[in-house]
Amino acid sequence: MIPSLGVISILAFILIRLPPGDFVTNYIATLAASNEIVDQNTAAELRARFGLDQPMIVQYWRWISGIVLRGDFGFSFEWQQPVGDLIWERMGLTLVLTFTTLLMTWAIALPVGVYSAVKKYSLGDYVATFFSFLGLAVPSFLLALVLMYVAAMYFSQDVGGLFSQEYLTAPWSFWKFVDLMSHIWIAVIILAVSGTASLIRIMRANMLDELSKPYVTTARAKGLSEMTLLFRYPVRLALNPFISTIAWLLPNLVSGSVIVAIVLNLPTAGPLLLQSLMSQDMYLAGAFVLLICALTLVGTLISDVLLALVDPRIRLE
Amino acid sequence: MTNLGRRAFVAGAAAMSAAPAMAQGAAKEAPGLAALVAEGKLAKLADRVGASPLVVVPVEKAGAYGGQLRRGLRGSADHNGILRMVGNQGLVRWNATFTEVLPNVAEKWEVNEASTEFTFHLRPGMKWSDGHPFTADDVVFAIEDCCKNSELYRSVPSPLVIANKPGVASKINDTTVKFTFEAPYALFLEIMATPLGQHPTLFAKHYGAQFHPKYNNKVADLVKAANVSDWGALFRSKLGDIEIPLRWGNPEKPVLDPWVVQEPYSGGATRVLMRRNPYFWQVDTEGRQLPYIDALNFSISQDVESLMLDVISGKLDIQDRHIDTLQNKPTLSQNAAKGGYRLVELVNSGAQQCQMYFNMMHKNPAMRAFFGNKSVRQALSMAIDRSEIIELVYLGQSEPYQTGPRPGHPWYHETLARQFTKYDKTAAGAMLDAAGYPRKNGQRVHPDGSKLFFAIDVIPTLYPDLVDTLELVKRHWAEIGIDCKVNTIERSLYYTRGDNNEHDCAVWPGPGGLDPMLDPRDFFAQHPQGSRYAIPWTQWYVSNGKEGEEPPESQKQRMKLFDAARGTADMAKRAAAMKALFDITAEAFETVGICLAVNAFGIASNKLRNVPVKMPSSWSWPNPGPSLPQQYYLG
Repeated sequence: MIPSLGVISILAFILIRLPPGDFVTNYIATLAASNEIVDQNTAAELRARFGLDQPMIVQYWRWISGIVLRGDFGFSFEWQQPVGDLIWERMGLTLVLTFTTLLMTWAIALPVGVYSAVKKYSLGDYVATFFSFLGLAVPSFLLALVLMYVAAMYFSQDVGGLFSQEYLTAPWSFWKFVDLMSHIWIAVIILAVSGTASLIRIMRANMLDELSKPYVTTARAKGLSEMTLLFRYPVRLALNPFISTIAWLLPNLVSGSVIVAIVLNLPTAGPLLLQSLMSQDMYLAGAFVLLICALTLVGTLISDVLLALVDPRIRLE
Repeated sequence: MTNLGRRAFVAGAAAMSAAPAMAQGAAKEAPGLAALVAEGKLAKLADRVGASPLVVVPVEKAGAYGGQLRRGLRGSADHNGILRMVGNQGLVRWNATFTEVLPNVAEKWEVNEASTEFTFHLRPGMKWSDGHPFTADDVVFAIEDCCKNSELYRSVPSPLVIANKPGVASKINDTTVKFTFEAPYALFLEIMATPLGQHPTLFAKHYGAQFHPKYNNKVADLVKAANVSDWGALFRSKLGDIEIPLRWGNPEKPVLDPWVVQEPYSGGATRVLMRRNPYFWQVDTEGRQLPYIDALNFSISQDVESLMLDVISGKLDIQDRHIDTLQNKPTLSQNAAKGGYRLVELVNSGAQQCQMYFNMMHKNPAMRAFFGNKSVRQALSMAIDRSEIIELVYLGQSEPYQTGPRPGHPWYHETLARQFTKYDKTAAGAMLDAAGYPRKNGQRVHPDGSKLFFAIDVIPTLYPDLVDTLELVKRHWAEIGIDCKVNTIERSLYYTRGDNNEHDCAVWPGPGGLDPMLDPRDFFAQHPQGSRYAIPWTQWYVSNGKEGEEPPESQKQRMKLFDAARGTADMAKRAAAMKALFDITAEAFETVGICLAVNAFGIASNKLRNVPVKMPSSWSWPNPGPSLPQQYYLG
């Protein structure tokens, strides 16, 4: 794991540096879009201060040595704040949002998937199939935009963000939590839609594979009730693919739902990541990419362990 | 008593800002501040605003205190959205129409005959937002100890530099500070009125000195405690700079702005909150302290579309940034009643929306002769149906125009602005015939019979509307037999072609509508990257005749006139020189334009009063700042 992280850090650094220009040219161009001008002397000064005039290898060394030797991820160019602070500040709400979405996705998708497999080609199956294809087909950012427009124009509802103005900086309290819940549902629904849709399809297909296998007939012949049978054998087997996707789940905590978060103006990590990449804010973007990669590696490890726990066949091999 | 003494000292100086009667009364200051004064927690109003506050004349009428103003920011690199609203408190400022420099932090000034010495008189008793006096020492500290410190600024900010030498700021007494330059710098006042000229009033000495090694020999400890690389980084994180996000990141920093930061602009912020500066040094005509509005609330949107949604659902009180594209205008007008806002016109500071620069110094002699022929340029101009372009591309929001200061500007020049804008393709065709470019099989040819064709360079990603305009121009010219191509290219190639003088014709928005002195590239061959009709002449001008090609007499006269205008701070002399210059430009008719640079727009909530119905839109006049948001109020 450690060597792959090292290689990843080099790749990440090169990739972020790859587009033409650097943080300062980007900064100047962004300001120029509002007809604003940066003093040439100031620009040169910025470049020197961030070490952007140095060769790439020197820049990489400055960055990676800080992380490895001192656990210091450096300062964000744009905000001049420690990168660690910036990321952690956003992590709390990001975790809340991702886990709520995940729970909701599973709570809907698993039962519906099982149901539409068991009652194959019934009216319920067709309805579930119809909605899951709809959910797959509609891009979630578009759904977000439409919902926001409808809410703003017809219900005068404030749907952007996660808090009302009065609770933005208030300390945590029961009412702040209520306020969060009254805002978070719309984001959760939008984020859950496409995930739910694809999960239903996967679950249904997995179940159909299992249901026709001889062990099901055997169990049924032994006189097990339909429910017990279903949950004791085929569902457990059909869950395997879910467990292996946990590897992707962890990095999604950080980088998932970027566009929806931007549209809905959610104070989560996604928009910060995109911003840092677009402005070539090297240290911030680099820390994010590194974090995502580390989470992927850890996620893979966890899902391997879990799979072995859940499925005895894998342990045997 | 000291106030009286100081007042006597500046007697006569306060023409702009006659000290109003400071009668004690609740209505002279915000109720919140009055309560603090009553409790003894805050100094009295007269002590806070000083003996000679700046008197601001409200746009409509004196307002009521209170309320919160809502405005939107984008999540990244949008700190100048705050600067434009609150932070343009330089020594001097622009007037409301961008034509004249007025007193601001300095209540008056003197300039010597040679325009090398500028003496500014500060306002006696004026305070920083923490109540500490603002004096000449602060200005000297900002310039001599900060801007000219090579560990803080590797090179001195260019507004303070002329002829490669930075100016010297010296203290005469507490309220008088003198800037001395080694060469004439007549535009110094104008530049000090722009955002980049704010350094003299940016850093408070009593606060900044603790982070400066010259005044605190224990700075190293602070640097270590803050875990930053050097004292420069520490200084910046505490005191910011003109246009970096950090300027709005430290609530402790003393400022001269109408509102001070309460919740800072940082990477994780979802809004920026600013509250009134109790020591703000401006009052209205009744002597009531500004600002009227208690607080500013900048909400941060990651996405420009959600900013639009906030506007049309009435959640912002004043907004122009990021929403002012022409395509948004119909949506915004449609929802004005529902969102409870009105549109505010933002006058484009440019002159021409689509300036066409025919390369009169083309490398190919035949093309050089063609573009160099004045009656050819006149014919090309007259063959353009400008009203169709304005209707189709600019939704009727402009008028036929060539170049020069905009209508309403004191230097507006009718001939320069309107000549040859009348659509007459028959006359145009006849002029081309007479100039020796006959038609052959419907297409115009050179006098030697070879094919006549040229390309017009344009950058589609930067100016998509110019591509649409040029497609129409191409069609209009086809009717008089001129064959051309709209050459859509990428930015760096555009510049390379221009620098190497390889272009036939290029388009760019023509500047100089409101700021003719700051950007005269279309009036004579002045700008080596901008005056694209004759790059070699600009090189000759910039290098004092060492490089490029010698321009004709008409250009040389204008170069002399401009240098004369730039060398004098006397506005009447400057205007006369520029008038003479414009006469010659009109006669030479080098560039061809389509229409007056199209105005942008912003919105203001119907509750928000004292906002001018129109204001300039520019970085040098950082709207809405110079319209003085401190005198806006919520009715």
